[in-house]
Amino acid sequence: MLQVEDLYAGYGASEVLTGTTLTVKKGTLVALIGANGAGKTTTMRAISGGLKPSRGKVKLDGQEVQGLDASRIAQLGLAHAPEGRKVFGPLSVEDNLLLGAYSRLPRFFGFKAKAQADLDRVYDLFPKLKDRTSQAAGTLSGGEQQMLAIGRALMARPKVMLLDEPSMGLAPVIVQEVFRTILRLKEEGITLLLVEQFAKSALEVVDYAYVMERGRIAVEGTPAELSRNERVIAAYLG
Amino acid sequence: MNASIIGQMAVSGALMGLVYALIAYGFQLTYATSKSINFGQGELVMVSAFFSLTLTNLGFSYWFMVPGGLLFGALLGLVVERAGVRLALEQKSEGWILLTIIIGLFFFSAAENIWGRDDRPFPTPISADPIHFLGVDVTRLELAVAVGVLGIMGLIELFKRRTLLGKAFEAVSADRDAAELMGISATRTVMLSYGLSGAVAALAGILVSPITTVGPTMASAIILKAFSVAVVAGLDSGFGVVLIGMFLGALESLSSYYLGSGWREAPGLILLILALAVRPTGVFGKAIIRKV
Repeated sequence: MLQVEDLYAGYGASEVLTGTTLTVKKGTLVALIGANGAGKTTTMRAISGGLKPSRGKVKLDGQEVQGLDASRIAQLGLAHAPEGRKVFGPLSVEDNLLLGAYSRLPRFFGFKAKAQADLDRVYDLFPKLKDRTSQAAGTLSGGEQQMLAIGRALMARPKVMLLDEPSMGLAPVIVQEVFRTILRLKEEGITLLLVEQFAKSALEVVDYAYVMERGRIAVEGTPAELSRNERVIAAYLG
Repeated sequence: MNASIIGQMAVSGALMGLVYALIAYGFQLTYATSKSINFGQGELVMVSAFFSLTLTNLGFSYWFMVPGGLLFGALLGLVVERAGVRLALEQKSEGWILLTIIIGLFFFSAAENIWGRDDRPFPTPISADPIHFLGVDVTRLELAVAVGVLGIMGLIELFKRRTLLGKAFEAVSADRDAAELMGISATRTVMLSYGLSGAVAALAGILVSPITTVGPTMASAIILKAFSVAVVAGLDSGFGVVLIGMFLGALESLSSYYLGSGWREAPGLILLILALAVRPTGVFGKAIIRKV
């Protein structure tokens, strides 16, 4: 569903990604783990179009999307819940969710009725958001903002969802909740690429994982394979 | 001095101040989506007023001329965005400042060449007869200004709050990159904001022309005051510009009455300097606090 082939990208003259290659098959949950600065978030941004890759290919459902505008890639079915959550602070929770479905809703009237089923689904997944539909998103707690960011991405009914550091800066209890949510998304068959600093927790839920080092994939495999790999154990699971 | 003259002066001035508010609102619209403003906005006001005058002279009725003028203003706004702003923003440069000034100068020369340098009256079916209202006389023209300004601002605010496109507009203003991730094209949203801003400028021109007459320099004083209003009120509150605009309008009308017409521009400039010294984000502006 998502294929990244030999991707190079960076900021100005410094290349952060130096030939990243990975694949996310339909309906699978794949993790991208690695140390800070290895290029995980840069990979996500280069896939979703926030950063234009200088070389390589990104294929979404077989279609090459590298170099397109982020908004175009989103319209083609990629939802990216970015690092730092990036909810629209001044807008209400419900408006944030509706905007998640922007690509497939009417622009002027009747958009809420058309999105109602998806709204209900997100509220069902995150009952806390339902109590706060008209509250400004910026006033939510960090955990709630993360739920909102995930919910907003779900609203798009994406072919592939990118989830960047959903547990960053959250209390341990909330981190557990985030992981429970990720498991539920997996059960629903959503195709998901997850960037996570808690490698151990991530390996407990994913189908497959890539370990990034200095801008490229160093090791890859199923969680079982990786947890036998001495290098991975030493660096991330120790 | 009696109270009724003060009241009369204050009300007429405040109604005129709504025109400053409307132009300042036009600055807010583009600032929201792109953190840029059109420094040639005054020329948009003036050229649109001339264009509307031409429509009237060609025999179009007032109620046809108004939407025609607004459409023309919106087109000029799009021209400014394409020619003066887009490339600069893409390169994250401040080049739009100089470019929008230059495009304004170009519009100014074009207007002088097409319509001449003379001030001309602007016919309107709305009469200048005063109506007695709460102890003061208000002309229908002044009332038309109030209705027009508050009407279009109300409509645009409704659009921003009630339609998905309007919410997308707010989303781009809150976080441009995140909005792009939702499939919202920031470029198109910026275009839309410049179109709206141009239409708003045109309406300001159409509303003020019957009172001030139309000429190439008609907007040069108004635009300075609109800047003052935008800076004093802050660049994100529509309610703020209305309040500050009316306040400034009343203040300058009173000061020209009591201190002499030479002092007319003084309160706006003093207010501007005070605001910049004491509260640079504006009275209604939000200081940007970013949690990292």
